[in-house]
Amino acid sequence: MWLKMFEPSGPTTCLVMKVSDMEKELRQEAGKLLEEGTVDYIIGFAPGSLKFTTTPLITEDIDEINNLVINPFINNNLAKYLPEIPGRVGIIAKGCDSRSIVSLIQDKQIARQDIVILGIPCSGLVDLKKVEKLAGKERDKIDDIVVLADKVCITAGGEKKEVPTTEVLFDHCLGCELQIPKEYDFLIQEPAAEIRDYESSSKQIQELKKMSPDQRWAFWKEQFGHCIRCYACRQVCPACFCERCFVEESQPRWVSPVSQWQDNLIFQAIRTIHVAGRCTDCGECERVCPVNIPLRSLSKEMYDLVGEMFDYKTGMDVNAPALMTAYELVEAEGLIR
Amino acid sequence: MITKKINKKDIRKLLGTWNQECSVIVPTREQGIVEMAGWDNKDISFLDWYRNTVVPPKACFLPQSEVMISFQKKENGLKIEVPQDEHKQIIFGIRPCDARAVAIIDQVFADTYDDYYYSSKRRNTLLIGLSCSNPYDSCFCTSTDVNPTESEDVDLMFMDIGDEYVIEEITSGGKALLNTSSMIKKATKADINKAKEVRAASVDKLKKKVDTKDVDRKLQSCFNDIDYWEQVSAKCISCGICTFLCPTCFCFDINDEMIKKHGARYRGWDSCSFRSYTKMPMENPREEKWRRVRQRVCHKFEFYPMNLGINACTGCGRCIRLCPVNWDITQVIAGLPGEISVHSGK
Repeated sequence: MWLKMFEPSGPTTCLVMKVSDMEKELRQEAGKLLEEGTVDYIIGFAPGSLKFTTTPLITEDIDEINNLVINPFINNNLAKYLPEIPGRVGIIAKGCDSRSIVSLIQDKQIARQDIVILGIPCSGLVDLKKVEKLAGKERDKIDDIVVLADKVCITAGGEKKEVPTTEVLFDHCLGCELQIPKEYDFLIQEPAAEIRDYESSSKQIQELKKMSPDQRWAFWKEQFGHCIRCYACRQVCPACFCERCFVEESQPRWVSPVSQWQDNLIFQAIRTIHVAGRCTDCGECERVCPVNIPLRSLSKEMYDLVGEMFDYKTGMDVNAPALMTAYELVEAEGLIR
Repeated sequence: MITKKINKKDIRKLLGTWNQECSVIVPTREQGIVEMAGWDNKDISFLDWYRNTVVPPKACFLPQSEVMISFQKKENGLKIEVPQDEHKQIIFGIRPCDARAVAIIDQVFADTYDDYYYSSKRRNTLLIGLSCSNPYDSCFCTSTDVNPTESEDVDLMFMDIGDEYVIEEITSGGKALLNTSSMIKKATKADINKAKEVRAASVDKLKKKVDTKDVDRKLQSCFNDIDYWEQVSAKCISCGICTFLCPTCFCFDINDEMIKKHGARYRGWDSCSFRSYTKMPMENPREEKWRRVRQRVCHKFEFYPMNLGINACTGCGRCIRLCPVNWDITQVIAGLPGEISVHSGK
């Protein structure tokens, strides 16, 4: 629980953080794995080089284990790295990350026995864009963000503001379905604070649904007019594990490489369909978009559709067949014989 | 040298005067994304909120995508047209780091041959620099020989000293912009002294620093240190943010589009971070991620100095603050193995 690490008396900025009990436990366990040769690499989070940031730590060096942190800014879905890292890997996983890991196992992209999952409870991550808005200042001008279970204290320019935690967590965190990993080899035994606001979590989607098709079309036309086709959304996504992406195929060509809103939209639409049944609503695509396209509105809608149509929740059961790649004869419905 | 000044209240009028003669491009903000775009002839609120753009000003000369030629299939062959764009524009508010970046890619596009598409836009553009006194924590321009309040890479340089901007006239083109304006006053000795103070204070605000001395030599010696490059590239996700939004990255890709009888040849940004880079003509020689990461660092800090005698990084910090995984080029530069190490194999 973040509550524990952000005790009012402790130093609270992201850069100089009090080592919480959770971190101590995690470091101990991760260190042991490396030391005993159980794993070749540890993937976790280290403090970032900028305020309120963290950075993925991928290391085989036992000395680096003391850099491992757990805090409300551990954004990346580290499952992304698993298919490309050789050998046995110990990975720190929040609930959503663990779902992506399970999904990769289901899709046979990684083997369960090659992965040691170090599960951590997660009470939600802080969306810095929301904090910036509340503080009226940009990230680097904010002095402190103290997350307690139900409220957050933001200090900027000498002013202190207290807001409910629901106002600063990422939308996807407000609708989180798995705070504590189900699939793990080691789990830090701490409860997670249940901070939920389902309405806010899907607010943007509901607003889009209220629009007429024409309005919605105009909305996405404008959004994808900003797209710079940097593919950060795809690159950061653990579900996007294809060796060859359709967007770069030239024979046949599905999407023009020229960045224009129509093709940008088609790219994202197809990507959304491709990750159906693999997307765990980790929200990374939207977080990393450098031009603020609300990509989660697409992926979450697809996520919900998958739930409604197939009664399927991605990455909840490592033994379940993968939704899109497992078939049974009865499914053919006369189309395929 | 500071010679002139203008009251902040008069900026709208000044831009308005220019806007009658040519298009005025200023920092604009749309859903949190700041880029250089056409001025609406009234809003100058950017003077208060603008720190730097997300999309660098290079996009004014090398747009994300542009038509090189358009063509039409006719009975007797192809009708080909090259777009002619000679319209004049003024970019107001470019920061010294980005102005230096433009000066750097100017050299590239005029190197072995004159790139028509780039230079037709560039030669019709005047750059008005705006001093920077509110850097991000990711900015490190003073480490790359850029002063946040000075620039020789613009036509006019404006510096904020409170209620007024003092102005340096750098080129004759810039000077001519001020000639006709009654709002422009002579800078006094007191103004110049104030500017000195602001300059010192602004430079002092740049807290992020990296020693770039001898970096080219160090990079040369550790080029084959595969362990180092593998280690620093491990967390890179090979997206295009750092290159697309780098003010000096200029790689492009060319594609033909054709629907029925009409088509066009486009060029658009490309990125050496992509695995598919240069796949079209041949193969990507940098299949492994560490090679691509090494390329980006070496291009900025080794190949540029070798070819043009200048670093191709101006410390704008975009690649750091926009990176999805906080890959920080200053850490990679600072961590370069100092000793000459040669790695065999691979």
